[in-house]
Amino acid sequence: MKSLEQLTDSVFYILAALTEPKHGYAVMSLIEETTNSTFVIGPASLYTIIKKLVAEKLIQLHDESDSRRKIYVITDKGREVLRADIQRRKVMISMAEHGLQRRNK
Amino acid sequence: MLRKKYMSSYGLAFFEDRDMKKLSKKASQGWHLKKFRFAGYELEKGSSDDVIYNIDYRKLQPDEEHEYFELFAYGGWTHVCSSTDMHIFKAKPGTTPIYSDIDSSIDKLARLAKSVNMVSSIALAVTLVLWMVMIFTTGSIQKIAQACIVYSLIISVPAMMTSGAVYYHMWKNMRLKSNHSS
Repeated sequence: MKSLEQLTDSVFYILAALTEPKHGYAVMSLIEETTNSTFVIGPASLYTIIKKLVAEKLIQLHDESDSRRKIYVITDKGREVLRADIQRRKVMISMAEHGLQRRNK
Repeated sequence: MLRKKYMSSYGLAFFEDRDMKKLSKKASQGWHLKKFRFAGYELEKGSSDDVIYNIDYRKLQPDEEHEYFELFAYGGWTHVCSSTDMHIFKAKPGTTPIYSDIDSSIDKLARLAKSVNMVSSIALAVTLVLWMVMIFTTGSIQKIAQACIVYSLIISVPAMMTSGAVYYHMWKNMRLKSNHSS
């Protein structure tokens, strides 16, 4: 996971979940619920990605007073990266949608 | 009747999957992983159980342990045992693997490569020094170096092979990744 310029689906979901402060396991369950369990992140992947996002300053600890219960939240830089990736994904989707609409006519 | 037995490892850097599958097979016969032993595992007799095993390599700071093990428990993985930086977990068959995407699997291998490479490079350096001593000296010092180099090769050759194996797995994963994205 060298470059975060193009977010993987896992990173995208995790950043999206952390737009509000959450525990790691709450991130896991939110993604599972939202996607109806079609997308599930394994705990080692989640832990690795969280560490990586903290190092890249895309997320940060929400409350540093309690070191046992770690709550994370997206940073301004993280928001920027997430917005850019939403745009990238929108281009993909609109191209596909337009293509399908033209076929149907 | 013996309640404990030893199971040797195929070598985690080479055949991690084979080790995990063998542990799973043993559990179905009632022999459960208890802890790491030298070059293998200690199993304990119990009732037969249908479980799968996964291993992670990670150096954990004391203040990281709680969060780390909590995430695994939440993902359906029970912590079985740890030995320094290696942690084995078990779960019911069908549970999402602990590594669900290729990028973080590559990160896992990169962490493993770092520790394996440290051993390899120390062993290789010792071998090279002994080799130089062997060439540039004569008499009894040369004899001692000749004797020592045999032992250092016993360590450095398998260590280099292990490094090679980890890089091979990493390369395989990276190829898989580029096939996915292209």
